Amino acid sequence: MRVLVVEDEKKTASFVRKALQAEGFAVDVCHNGDDALAVARTTPFDGIVLDIMLPGRDGLSVLRQLRERKNTTPVLLLSARGEVNERVEGLNAGADDYLPKPFELVELVARVRALTRRSGENKSTVLRIADLTLDTVTHRAQRGETEIELTVREYRLLEFLMRDAGRICGRMMILEKVWDYNFDPGTNLVDVYIRRLREKIDANFEIKLLHTVRGTGYVLKETP
Amino acid sequence: MTIRARLIFWYAGILTVSLLVIGFGTYQEILERFHHEHRREPTEHALAETSEMVFQVGLPAILLGLLGGWWLTRRALAPVTELTEAIKKIHERNLRDPLPRTKNGDELDRLTEVFNGMLARLDDSFNRTHEFTLHASHELKTPLTVLCGETETALRDESLSVAERERAASQLDELRRLARIVYGLTLLAKADAGQVALKLEPVRFDELVRDNFADAQILAEPQGIRVELKGCEEITVSGDRHRLRQLLLNLADNAVKYNQPQGQVTMSLRRADGAAEFTIANTGAGIPPEVLPRVFDRFYRGDPSHSPTVDGCGLGLSIAKWIVSAHNGTIKIESMPDKITTVTIRLPLAQENKPHYEDMH
Repeated sequence: MRVLVVEDEKKTASFVRKALQAEGFAVDVCHNGDDALAVARTTPFDGIVLDIMLPGRDGLSVLRQLRERKNTTPVLLLSARGEVNERVEGLNAGADDYLPKPFELVELVARVRALTRRSGENKSTVLRIADLTLDTVTHRAQRGETEIELTVREYRLLEFLMRDAGRICGRMMILEKVWDYNFDPGTNLVDVYIRRLREKIDANFEIKLLHTVRGTGYVLKETP
Repeated sequence: MTIRARLIFWYAGILTVSLLVIGFGTYQEILERFHHEHRREPTEHALAETSEMVFQVGLPAILLGLLGGWWLTRRALAPVTELTEAIKKIHERNLRDPLPRTKNGDELDRLTEVFNGMLARLDDSFNRTHEFTLHASHELKTPLTVLCGETETALRDESLSVAERERAASQLDELRRLARIVYGLTLLAKADAGQVALKLEPVRFDELVRDNFADAQILAEPQGIRVELKGCEEITVSGDRHRLRQLLLNLADNAVKYNQPQGQVTMSLRRADGAAEFTIANTGAGIPPEVLPRVFDRFYRGDPSHSPTVDGCGLGLSIAKWIVSAHNGTIKIESMPDKITTVTIRLPLAQENKPHYEDMH
């Protein structure tokens, strides 16, 4: 997977590159819009991380140019202005996702992962990790032979975590996908739900599956 | 006493004094004439004639003068009354609209002109403050992004000792708090500058309240707080779904945060006087009366000894108030310290769509 990062702030570009590389992506970096357009013309990318505020040609204009040229590479917009209106404007211009600054690296990585995920991957109706299974059609959850009762919200949370099993999921993305909140409500809602979910799927079992990654998010995996 | 009443009194006084002077002059004149004519008892006759003149001509003249004066002052002061009404309507947001001028170049018109100049200067300085906050919050975001990102990158370093990891994680928590403050500040600064557009549509408010009730129960569980939903009428309001959810979650979060262990939170939604009325009440220390009027102020926390353990960005209620005002609603907060604190919001109902009968057969 090859990703283009367009960001004029050198330090931000640097840690974004590192984080994506750590995730197994090949990363190219550009510091302005015109370079980005030139590189995107010659190199096929699986995804583009595009900052809106760039010197010269800004991110939205780069995006419109790309789409005019029938370039359909998925684009994640980054913005320091960060407001609902801008999000809508970005999505209308052809962006696939939008992340306001300051963002959490985990969020950014998870979003790029989602963006570049090939269709057809993980389409199975029964999700499985260790002896935990979740049927996405009947909404039945089982750990071994034990049936687990889940509320609607808990089900959605577990499904989200299971689809990204083995990978760290950030709080903001959970809030967005499970609660449909596109703002940071500043509550510990996610933490409390995770605690409840943990009681249901982990408390009575020896192998713990749901882990907290201090400072970054949550991950569902067999080994801690 | 109004200027008009005072002017009329003065005017009446002046007229009366002049009448007395005229009366005295006339009396002297008549007396002299009577002396020349060698009339008998000239003093008495002169007095009678003078008083007849004063009462029959002078008094009606004074009354007429007073009426005229009353009308004149009214006319002269009418622009002042209009100006007063116009000034009453001025607030922070309409400083840009100048007061209407008569353009006749008189003193009041000149006053209006000067006043408009002052409004323009005030507007300018308000705008500059807003812009400053807006720019400041934007400028803060770039270094914050770098700090958050680098700290997170550091946390991923496997070679970190437990203590180092703990320190980095704690720094990251504070950085995120800072990020939330900056987010709130940006939002309010944009709202002040009128740059946040709400996406208004008919929203089933009762559904949002029920959702919020479910989340509140979860939030309250760890402290053993009981959450109750006392009535939730089916109500549609015209609103921005995301903002209304933000508002409800914000209030529920406060009701749990500022509660006591094993406490109680009670919510209700009902129709009252043509509006949707949502109340949320919580037990707990409450808010002292002297702090109450200022709880919606930005970053106002009152006496820090009242909430030492609660962390938040200090902008929650300011944002709540903005969301309610942007929906043309009202928000109020009442508190009986150590008993109960109640927040009441009222939002206008959506325009009811009358069913169409024409198409029915």
